[in-house]
Amino acid sequence: MIIDPVTGAPAAIRYEGVHKSFGTNHVLRGLDLIVPRGKITAIIGRSGTGKSVTLKHVMGLLRPDRGEIFLGDVNLMQLNPKALRRVRERFGVVFQNAALFDSMDVFDNVAFPLLEHESFSSDVVRAKVTAALAQVGLSAAVHRLPSELSGGMRKRVGLARALIRDPEFLLYDEPTTGLDPILSAAMDELIYETQQARPALTSVIISHDMKAVLAIADKVAFLVDGRVVHEGTPEYFAQSDDALIRQFLAGSLDGPMKV
Amino acid sequence: MAKASRPATDAPPERPPASLITRSIEGIGRRVLSGLEDLGRVTHILALALANLFVRPVRVRETLRMMEFVGVQSLPIILLTSAFTGAVFTLQSYRAFAMFGAQAMVGGTVGVALTRELGPTLTGLLVAGRAGSAMAAEIGAMRVSEQIDALDAMAVDPINYLVKPRIVASVLVVPMLTALFDFVGCLGSYAIGVGVLRLSRPEFMVRLRDWVDWDDIWTGLFKALVFGLIIGTVACYKGFYTTGGARGVGLATTSSVVVSSVAILISNFFIAYALP
Ligand SMILES: Nc1ncnc2c1ncn2[C@@H]1O[C@H](COP(=O)(O)OP(=O)(O)OP(=O)(O)O)[C@@H](O)[C@H]1O
Ligand SMILES: [Mg+2]
Repeated sequence: MIIDPVTGAPAAIRYEGVHKSFGTNHVLRGLDLIVPRGKITAIIGRSGTGKSVTLKHVMGLLRPDRGEIFLGDVNLMQLNPKALRRVRERFGVVFQNAALFDSMDVFDNVAFPLLEHESFSSDVVRAKVTAALAQVGLSAAVHRLPSELSGGMRKRVGLARALIRDPEFLLYDEPTTGLDPILSAAMDELIYETQQARPALTSVIISHDMKAVLAIADKVAFLVDGRVVHEGTPEYFAQSDDALIRQFLAGSLDGPMKV
Repeated sequence: MAKASRPATDAPPERPPASLITRSIEGIGRRVLSGLEDLGRVTHILALALANLFVRPVRVRETLRMMEFVGVQSLPIILLTSAFTGAVFTLQSYRAFAMFGAQAMVGGTVGVALTRELGPTLTGLLVAGRAGSAMAAEIGAMRVSEQIDALDAMAVDPINYLVKPRIVASVLVVPMLTALFDFVGCLGSYAIGVGVLRLSRPEFMVRLRDWVDWDDIWTGLFKALVFGLIIGTVACYKGFYTTGGARGVGLATTSSVVVSSVAILISNFFIAYALP
């Protein structure tokens, strides 16, 4: 078993030397990363460094040009489509722009994973959806269409949809970007509580909100140019005097990274 | 030998600036390659959808919903077009036949033309423009807003969920609409022929019945089925491989209509050629 050196927890997801290009755009350039089981791992980095691309590789939405990705001991690259689908059932994903189905109302969006994969009676489905929507504070919006929601509401519907089947892995792509400060704090709280309530859950969160990252993450990985250049506990990042880290945390224009 | 006669030490052979000819040949080559790639991916998506036909979930509800969308919602335009097509075709052939005093043949001629050619082809073109475009746009929008990624991430096969119902619905519905087109087209023809041009009613009906074989009708419906397959597959393919945001969705929509219309007209010729 491989242990994550930062948290001491066993590795749940492991990237080994992953490369990915889109045409001439070389995005991931030898990414190595261990995501520890039962913890919150935050991936930080500038826009366009490949954070979302990194996340999409775990679910097999993208395939690396080179390198391997392991889920526990399973090499994702060697799975056939059917096995890959079974693996995906263990994931819940909150997409950067929510990616709700715009032909369905909020209720149907959240119920969708249940209807697809479980054979619950409609009463059970209704109860579960109602509970999930209450958890994200959207009980009033059940019958609205995604186009009638604000960006923040859409993200919370996305979280309810991701949580509905009690996944083993929760992936959040910028869950708080575009939310007002109070909603953002509530969302961070929700992410933290969700993790606390489920010791076996493994969360990965991409965020630009450094304060929140340092507050809720167990491990932080800093991505620059498609590689993890620093990883450690939030304390490590908070105390580091590395120029890159200092500049990124401070959001400063002076430093090694140029606009 | 040719190599040896040109020593390596020489100045690099002058490479003339790409001439118009070279460039256009390169352009043609690229078109051909991308056309082949398109063809490969269309076949691939169709093969996946067919392989999924009996894979659970079967998606009956989604298929019915798409049949409603492709079929019921196309009714007004099909009814209107077929009635006027039958009418104008009757008017024109009446003028021609009247020169030989053969007006009685109008009913049969129009009937054969409608069932064999006009019914399936016009229905196919109308459905490609109305429903095919909308399907391509819907799937394209789902692609660029990551809804298809979300399906994949939720372990729902987008081919099974999105593509299969749409292709099945078009294959089932286009023949039905064609049958309707044929029927209403004949009504339009009757209305003009008997009602306005004063052709004899029994003669019109007898010719129509004698000339239009079941063969004509089946050929027309078979064409319609092929056109339905083309419309559904092309629309899903164009939508599925959309890139580049809203502009990409627009391009996918347009090109789905153009490609399926051209494919309908070309395959119409080959079917007509193969089926006597
Ligand atoms: N499907 C795709 N096709 C082509 N290029 C892509 C695709 N997905 C991502 N890219 C490119 O990969 C790079 C990294 O994108 P990614 O979305 O991972 O950035 P990010 O780190 O998540 O940025 P942000 O913080 O702005 O979300 C970008 O240059 C983007 O243009
Ligand atoms: Mg991103």
